[in-house]
Amino acid sequence: MSDIEIEIDGQLVRANQGDSIINIADREGIEVPRFCYHKKLSVAANCRMCLVDVEGVPKAQPACSTPAANGMKIHTKNDKAKFAQKAVMEFLLINHPLDCPICDQGGECELQDVAMEYGSDVSKFNEGKRIVPDKGIGALIQTDMTRCIHCTRCVRFGAEVAGIVEMGGTGRGEGVKIEPFLTEGIQSELSGNMIDVCPVGALTSKPFRYEARTWQMNAVQSVARHDLVGSNIYTQSYRGKVKRVVARDNDSINETWISDRDRFSYEGLNHESRALKPKVKIDGLWQETDWQEALKFAIDGIKNNANSSEQFGVLSSKYASLEEFYLLQKLARNFGTENIDFRLDQAQLSNASSLESTITLSEIESIDHALIVGSYTRLEQPMINHRIRKATLNGASVNTINSKKFDFNYKTGLDVLTSPQKLRATLQSVLKAIHNKTNKDAPSFLSQVSPEDIHNKIADDLIESKNGVIVLGEHLNSNLDSIAITSLIEQIASAADLKIANITLSGNSLSAEKVGFMPDEKGMSAASMFNESTKAFLLMDVDLEYDFFDSKSAQDCFNQEDVFVVALSSFENQSLLNGADVILPMASYYETSGTHINFDGQAQSFSASVKSPGDSKPGWKIIKVMADLFELEGFDYIDSTQVKEQALQLSRNKSSFKDVDFENFDDSQITTHWQYTPYVTDSVTRRASALQKTNIGMIDSAFVSEATAKKLGIGNDDLYLGVPVSIVDSVAEDYVFVHTNQARKA
Amino acid sequence: MISNEAKKEIDFWVSKYPEGRESSAVMQALTIVQKENGGSLNSELINDVAEYLEMPAISVQEVATFYENYNHKPVGKHVLRFCHNISCMLNGSDELISYLEDKLGVKTGEVSKDGLVSVKKVECLGACVGGPMCQIGDQYHEHLTKDKLDNILENLT
Ligand code: SF4
Ligand code: FES
Ligand code: FES
Repeated sequence: MSDIEIEIDGQLVRANQGDSIINIADREGIEVPRFCYHKKLSVAANCRMCLVDVEGVPKAQPACSTPAANGMKIHTKNDKAKFAQKAVMEFLLINHPLDCPICDQGGECELQDVAMEYGSDVSKFNEGKRIVPDKGIGALIQTDMTRCIHCTRCVRFGAEVAGIVEMGGTGRGEGVKIEPFLTEGIQSELSGNMIDVCPVGALTSKPFRYEARTWQMNAVQSVARHDLVGSNIYTQSYRGKVKRVVARDNDSINETWISDRDRFSYEGLNHESRALKPKVKIDGLWQETDWQEALKFAIDGIKNNANSSEQFGVLSSKYASLEEFYLLQKLARNFGTENIDFRLDQAQLSNASSLESTITLSEIESIDHALIVGSYTRLEQPMINHRIRKATLNGASVNTINSKKFDFNYKTGLDVLTSPQKLRATLQSVLKAIHNKTNKDAPSFLSQVSPEDIHNKIADDLIESKNGVIVLGEHLNSNLDSIAITSLIEQIASAADLKIANITLSGNSLSAEKVGFMPDEKGMSAASMFNESTKAFLLMDVDLEYDFFDSKSAQDCFNQEDVFVVALSSFENQSLLNGADVILPMASYYETSGTHINFDGQAQSFSASVKSPGDSKPGWKIIKVMADLFELEGFDYIDSTQVKEQALQLSRNKSSFKDVDFENFDDSQITTHWQYTPYVTDSVTRRASALQKTNIGMIDSAFVSEATAKKLGIGNDDLYLGVPVSIVDSVAEDYVFVHTNQARKA
Repeated sequence: MISNEAKKEIDFWVSKYPEGRESSAVMQALTIVQKENGGSLNSELINDVAEYLEMPAISVQEVATFYENYNHKPVGKHVLRFCHNISCMLNGSDELISYLEDKLGVKTGEVSKDGLVSVKKVECLGACVGGPMCQIGDQYHEHLTKDKLDNILENLT
């Protein structure tokens, strides 16, 4: 709705009352120089670079903070505006070093660009420039604070978007410094965005330092695969290697931000453990060979070891592409097996896949209440959490039911501490409370349940919310009672009329679900394949230590003499060398085209940014060739687009909810939940070295209450399953919350 | 650690602001803890104030470093807050400050050996008409000369 008319540089423009001049100019493509203004941050108007002439006003006005009014006549390029802009530029350059040749921002620096346009080539300033010592703020962001122009974008980013106020402006006058309070390094999982918002070279990417110049790099549009959001990114590569990842705007998905995991994981691609050559194990010894030999060895091995097609199992991580999932399940099914699964980390086959999300990313922003169950959302799904945070800024309230009190970047109201084994009881109480309050007849399994005060309060908030959501997170996966819990969540949502956000699975899981990369009734799930019955395996991007819920039985099974394992993998490690019989080197992220399906169900395709190293080949091509060698029908694809089209035509046959036994459940055992830090979730990120050195990356503690520690006979700094114990009171009883970067041992 | 008495004092100031605006009392809180700590602040105290008022520590640090009434290094029993702003400077404050530094054998910002005095340069204290001037405790000393300074220092105990 445009209700006023103004004139900018002689051009008549319609606008909304109250729109800032800079906004209107941007929309009309009229260039106004700026440093502190950023479209996603509050207006600070402290750099004064955007001064423009407004007719009738004696002094030039900042375009970023001056609202347009009807009939305003604005000049952005007349003498008065130019004079003001030049003067500001001169001031800004007084203390700015002339070190562009050794500055990483050179070539993409807003100050450099604006100085070319508005700066003078001679400086009147002969005095010394100020120097600001660097404190260092962690492994991801390189600081050169002498270059800082105090625009406070990074400060506002912390306060407004990251929700953790870390950077601030201390001192005054010429002594002003932008710095964090402590030097332990930044805590936020979104910190890398500060690099993007910093208009100068004060904050740059540390892993990228001195790696390449921006104009030498090849930028390709891509999609990040680490979480359910599929943030839009550019990969920037130099001489065939990805050197940097930056955010690409997409308002409905990631706005203009990306998580640190999306930004810095690319480092893992260049890790020394890359699988570069096909390898086969003959008599216990690994030999490098060529593709033809390796494939023949793989095909023969599978055929010889699997006496019947049911003895063949196919497993993948959550991070493959839609095309890879599709082809691999097709290969398996045409081969005659239903033993297909990507849910390697699930303790039992839950109903989670049947629980459909009923809200979109941008809708999350307008909820008025959220109940978060079993999720440290901030670290698991940073961009979804960011949407929840935005909702809280608009007044939404958030309650949590978690096994530990987590550090959210917004205020939570009621926090119910519940161990996984007591979660069913808690949810039953909440469900009962909702039924009581809405005068509905509760189902019979709730007859013995009597809600306590806290459950009533949680129920009240759910009932009162007009636009509420219940968020179910990934802690469900290791819960041995997940079938009951998913079903209870569904019942609570329908009783209190809530939307559902199912974020139990991550990565590209929704692609795997779409193409049915899981067994039907006849097949076996990942958890049940490691018995005697499966004699040949095909693994895609699977890490034997990190990825399985019960990695010991998985490895024991793979290591057996008579079990033949073919691994499509981008990396090698000892456990893979022990377990596998053939390693087929596979292209990794950004090295192959593919498709990611995100939380909103959007299928986003990407092309390869770089060629995969060594002899490695795109996964979808390897699978296609294997299918041909198996002489299976229906694999005559020319390119991956055909695969994608077929895959997208499949509609997911929603499995129905499994029946729940609400009577018999033993909740007396002490349980352990093994939660990975966000930087060991997938094979590439796990090898990204800078991420591992951050505060989040180094998390390694087994949190336990004092009473439970006593029962277990452990104390502070003892090791519990190899993880240092930390006794806290913010964790549920009879329960250990292991938050770690180490591979799962429980 | 903020003592209970100090907390009580802070609460008094907090109560003057509407609920949810506890952080408005940050300047008074800093003044109170600084006094209790013998005239200076340190990161631990900044953190304590931040925690007590439920503010991010860096926001407290911003305030504490912006205003000159807060000291970030230990100070002497008496702090000579010497104005070096424009009027005082034109009237010779620089020379007097050098004189003081020589006489006490310390630089501005340092404490004399006996721990009795430290000198701090501050911005305009609003007594330009009496420049050069300095503030000691609650007292302004104006139209300063070297003799006057000698006299003042002698009387500090
Ligand atoms: S570091 Fe960069 S973003 Fe932060 S205030 Fe300085 S110039 Fe602005
Ligand atoms: S952009 Fe307007 S004052 Fe900085
Ligand atoms: S300039 Fe010294 S008191 Fe004002």
